Amino acid sequence: MKQHLGRQSGVQNVEVSLIDGKVEVIPKEDGQIDPAQLLKATYDSGVTAAEMNMTAAGKIVKDSSGNLALQVEPNRSFVMVPNEESKQLEALVGSSTTVTIHGQLYRKPAGKREKAVVSSLKLTILGVEKKE
Amino acid sequence: MNTKLALLLLLGYTFAPISQAQIKHIEMRVEGMT
Repeated sequence: MKQHLGRQSGVQNVEVSLIDGKVEVIPKEDGQIDPAQLLKATYDSGVTAAEMNMTAAGKIVKDSSGNLALQVEPNRSFVMVPNEESKQLEALVGSSTTVTIHGQLYRKPAGKREKAVVSSLKLTILGVEKKE
Repeated sequence: MNTKLALLLLLGYTFAPISQAQIKHIEMRVEGMT
């Protein structure tokens, strides 16, 4: 799996811990990394992803449907699941403030074994690390 | 005038905080790994 993930675009390094099943992915600074692609590559390598967390910096925007989103690249943004943390970020829509967020992109539904729906990854904010 | 403006812009870019928007880290928990 390490080699499989390491071949994905935008991936600099992959660390796998067999003991606790943790996989750490260090992205390159080229901004090419795609979490949905990583999740797909994980399944393709024969293991099941239970959850995926991400730390990312970006601007707070609203998408065409009016959903709050974190824009990490001009062409890549993650819609945020509404919660208390996301409400506090709403005031930053349209501002030039860059926010660093730690959040969950995917969690396997309890008791299910089917493949993840990777086309609709939503970011559940677990914490706001920095605003600048 | 134009030179001063260009110089100001250049200084602005030089000292602007480096706060690139990007994915910094991804962590997964997986099951079924041997």
